Amino acid sequence: MSNGKVVKDVMIGIFEYPHVPYWFSISQAVRIVKVSFLSAKKYPDPMAVLVFDEKYNLMGTLTLKDILKGLEPRFLKPSEKAQVPAEDETALSLIWDTLFDKSTKDLGEKPVSEIMSSAKYFVEPGDPVTKAAYLMLQHDLVLLPVLEDKKKFVGLVRMIEVFDTISDAVLKE
Amino acid sequence: MELIDREDHQKLYLQLYEILKKKIESSEWAIGSQIPTEEELCKLFNVSRATVRTAVLELVRQGYLKRQQGKGTFIFRNMISEGLTMLTSLRELFFEEDLHFSTNVLARTVMMPVDDMDIRLNIEKDKHIIYIKRMRFIENEPVLLQETYIPYHISPLLLEDDIENNTLFDLFEKKYGIKITKVKNYIEITHLAKDEARLLSLTEGAFAVLLTQYFYSGETLVMYTRSIKRTDRFKFLMELERKSA
Repeated sequence: MSNGKVVKDVMIGIFEYPHVPYWFSISQAVRIVKVSFLSAKKYPDPMAVLVFDEKYNLMGTLTLKDILKGLEPRFLKPSEKAQVPAEDETALSLIWDTLFDKSTKDLGEKPVSEIMSSAKYFVEPGDPVTKAAYLMLQHDLVLLPVLEDKKKFVGLVRMIEVFDTISDAVLKE
Repeated sequence: MELIDREDHQKLYLQLYEILKKKIESSEWAIGSQIPTEEELCKLFNVSRATVRTAVLELVRQGYLKRQQGKGTFIFRNMISEGLTMLTSLRELFFEEDLHFSTNVLARTVMMPVDDMDIRLNIEKDKHIIYIKRMRFIENEPVLLQETYIPYHISPLLLEDDIENNTLFDLFEKKYGIKITKVKNYIEITHLAKDEARLLSLTEGAFAVLLTQYFYSGETLVMYTRSIKRTDRFKFLMELERKSA
């Protein structure tokens, strides 16, 4: 189903995405996102930052969604209030006002390692694209790291390339 | 008051830098006093915040101004000694050349520039940087904490080199053919932050020597290093000779 394509045929370079060490604060990551994507008018899919440890091993990824969730305490600890039924309009309007308030600034000082999505699944450059597709769908991943010899981080697989490869096979007559 | 000349082809920030420098050198702005905020300077000279920021950072880098976190920017000194030629060889200027050092690499990773690192390294804000943090020991005693920032494009392979047993200087010159032709050194006394104190086995707030170095190959800035050394282990030789008139 992958037309014989392997991961290295579709992966993209790791420097397509900004790198940060795990001790950077969320605020620092926010500034980097603004500079690297928003100000530069670059909107890759997904927009993400790669988080590394002190030995330059990939630890995880940080999407815009991860960042926003990390800045609002209700997302960190789901509360009753954050789950008010949709029909309760009055209560909702009050809640909207209290979301992302002054505690957001304090949360911005937390390290990115606390809010990133940990990199748990990998593929090798020679693996079939279908394996990447399986892992990404099974675990709801936006980016899948490619490791050479289970160690060296050499690339990333995105859903767009996976889709492209699989869809070619579907449409093939 | 001297104003920015928009007909002048010199970059705006350089003009502003010269104007502010004159104010400091002429003591119009006294040592220890606080300079106007970025916003006030923007209004005063009708320039952008980026122009003000670059000019002020250059004055900080030159040692005229000092930034204090949360307080503002202050006049630090009103002259920089010039006209002396440093004879000390470049290698001697490296703390890391001390043969008795043993090295522990605490971190070697890649990051984006934050705070003013893009200006310090003269790179775009969206360019990657190699970050190296090393602890130097003499007879198992921690004496020097060194953080190094290198634009990634200068030498990507540094991520894989043996930097415990080779100096960055040697790797640059011998392996990558990048000849270091100029080093700007700034030495000052600093107070140790919590993490720095822990690594140097000292107490938070204790005095230490801070050496800030900018390494150039030709006109290209190839490396910025921030070294913190215990004061009891500090010895630095500079041999200076005045150029003949």
